[in-house]
Amino acid sequence: MSAAAPAVAAPNRRAGAGGTARRAAEAALFLGLGLYFAVPMIAVLLYSLATRWTAEVLPEAYTLTWWQSTLADPEILAAFQTTLVLATLTAAVDVALVVPAAYWARVRNPRIRPLVETSAAIPFALPYLVIGFALLQFSGIVAPGLQGTFPLVVLGHCAIAFPFVYWAVDGSMAAAGIERLSEAGETCGAPPWQIIRRIVFPNITPGIVSGSLLAFATSFGEFALTQMVGRGIYTIPIWSASAIRSYSGESGDFNRLAVVTMISFFVLFVLSAIVVYFNRGQAARLLPGAATVDKREQP
Amino acid sequence: MSGVTLERVTKTFSQVHALDDVSLEIVSGELVALLGPSGCGKTTLLRSVAGLEEPTSGRILIGGRDVTGVPTRERPIGMVFQSYALFPNLTVRQNISFPLEVRHRPPAEIRERVAELLEIVRLGPQADRYPHQISGGQAQRCALGRALAPSPEVLLLDEPLSALDALVRTRLRDEIRRIQQLVKTTAIYVTHDQSEAMAIADRVAVMNHGRVEQVAAPPALYEEPATEFAATFVGSRNALELPIADGRIGLGAAFSIAAPAASRERAIAFFRPEDVQVAVGSMGHPAVVEMKIFLGPTTRLHLATAVGDRTARLHADMPSRAAAHLEEGSVVAVRVDPQHVRAFPVDA
Repeated sequence: MSAAAPAVAAPNRRAGAGGTARRAAEAALFLGLGLYFAVPMIAVLLYSLATRWTAEVLPEAYTLTWWQSTLADPEILAAFQTTLVLATLTAAVDVALVVPAAYWARVRNPRIRPLVETSAAIPFALPYLVIGFALLQFSGIVAPGLQGTFPLVVLGHCAIAFPFVYWAVDGSMAAAGIERLSEAGETCGAPPWQIIRRIVFPNITPGIVSGSLLAFATSFGEFALTQMVGRGIYTIPIWSASAIRSYSGESGDFNRLAVVTMISFFVLFVLSAIVVYFNRGQAARLLPGAATVDKREQP
Repeated sequence: MSGVTLERVTKTFSQVHALDDVSLEIVSGELVALLGPSGCGKTTLLRSVAGLEEPTSGRILIGGRDVTGVPTRERPIGMVFQSYALFPNLTVRQNISFPLEVRHRPPAEIRERVAELLEIVRLGPQADRYPHQISGGQAQRCALGRALAPSPEVLLLDEPLSALDALVRTRLRDEIRRIQQLVKTTAIYVTHDQSEAMAIADRVAVMNHGRVEQVAAPPALYEEPATEFAATFVGSRNALELPIADGRIGLGAAFSIAAPAASRERAIAFFRPEDVQVAVGSMGHPAVVEMKIFLGPTTRLHLATAVGDRTARLHADMPSRAAAHLEEGSVVAVRVDPQHVRAFPVDA
């Protein structure tokens, strides 16, 4: 739900009827994909603006009532605030933990790489409920006071989101050839912190930015783990779930859910757009000596 | 004085000797090429001098100072990598000034030194471009400028030309030599390309299986290889395994020389294709022309000849004009001046 529209391959320049058919097929595919993403969002948008929408193809009439009442509801606003703070903290903590770990595993001690990579695959393999249960068991042993608190929820979100940060950051370290750049920095006489600040960070920002977005989005949408680990921690997914559960048949409940969904979508969409904009052209920048030789110049 | 001394350096990676008791003396201002096939330890040796690898045992001295165990950043070295390893987020000018900035040199001095280096590596017009905006040759010249910026005692070059295309490679090779002599720095140059090593180096160290087999000036190495490996690796050579009779080995009327002292039954004779004289119908050992390869000024002949009851194949280079009348399939007579033949015992 958070990704921007997928990039489509550059048009094939092969001429002739085959080329035309190919272009038509590409256009059809692109259109189909576009509809697949757009239609549900349009439906939700219409629902958030509809007075009544039952029997017809389109709503009977439109209103901004649901938007106004949603944005004025202190419970929903508090849930948004909690969700944003939680997602931001999750992304920040994960970046702070993962970047040094990935750097260490790549540059200083490649032997720990298999360990780091395995642990970065575990959250994909285990259901979040299992992770949540493990977190409760573990915190019950080492820090019972943490149970049910906001910090423990942050920790839980960090645990499920860190693989996204790791793979994004590790990938951009590989793309930048960070081992070689670090060695070059050392032969230039730079101390480690200068290498990290002036060479490593500037060249892996695309990975950090997209990894943070993925961690943010993971946390933003997470329901099961929050429900299990946090006592009374009220986020947007939890509000949404309770809105569905407590549906009374009364008009307006689902319309306000549609409003909340649209706002969530908009937040993540804007963030994705920022990431895409920020990372444009970064890949090409990492290829030194990529320019073609100017024949008039010396090598 | 800023020579480099390696004293009995050994480096073991999980029981494999990457470097096996290597001792080497490089005098101040000299350019020594480390030449050998991949896996011979040449890059490990270079990285040990840089401090990017720590030797398992042995000592490394730069300018008489023991630097074994000293961190890379405190060694008086500059390094050029095969893959350029320029900092993509910095311009050419910023790349070159980086080593000076991390040493906290005064800004005025940095400006002056960077301008001087841009001049030396001829990148003035490209100074404010980023690494992805310049060509491979320019990138490597920028890397050279960065390595030389802090006036290191030793310049280390790890296959600096391997990523470049052929034309740029020879030009940049000569450029590196010119700059090295201009700034009078000691240099160690790793390559697997023997012609590159011979063209650029004062001395060439031939390495194999983690050992230095021979260190010699290029002409001496070419003419008098000390070991069988040096003979096969440097230049192209014919290798014929020959039986020993009366303490001598030979190929019919082509040549006959004394067998190497250590060998008993068989020995390997090495000689260069350009030292094989090919004639029609005159004195020599008969051979059949199997293939003719035109190489411009010279033509290479692939010859088949009888050694006892076996057929051996050898190469002969001759001026293309003299080879013009030879056909594939024609019978020729070959001779080799015995002083150009080197023989080594056959390994047991």
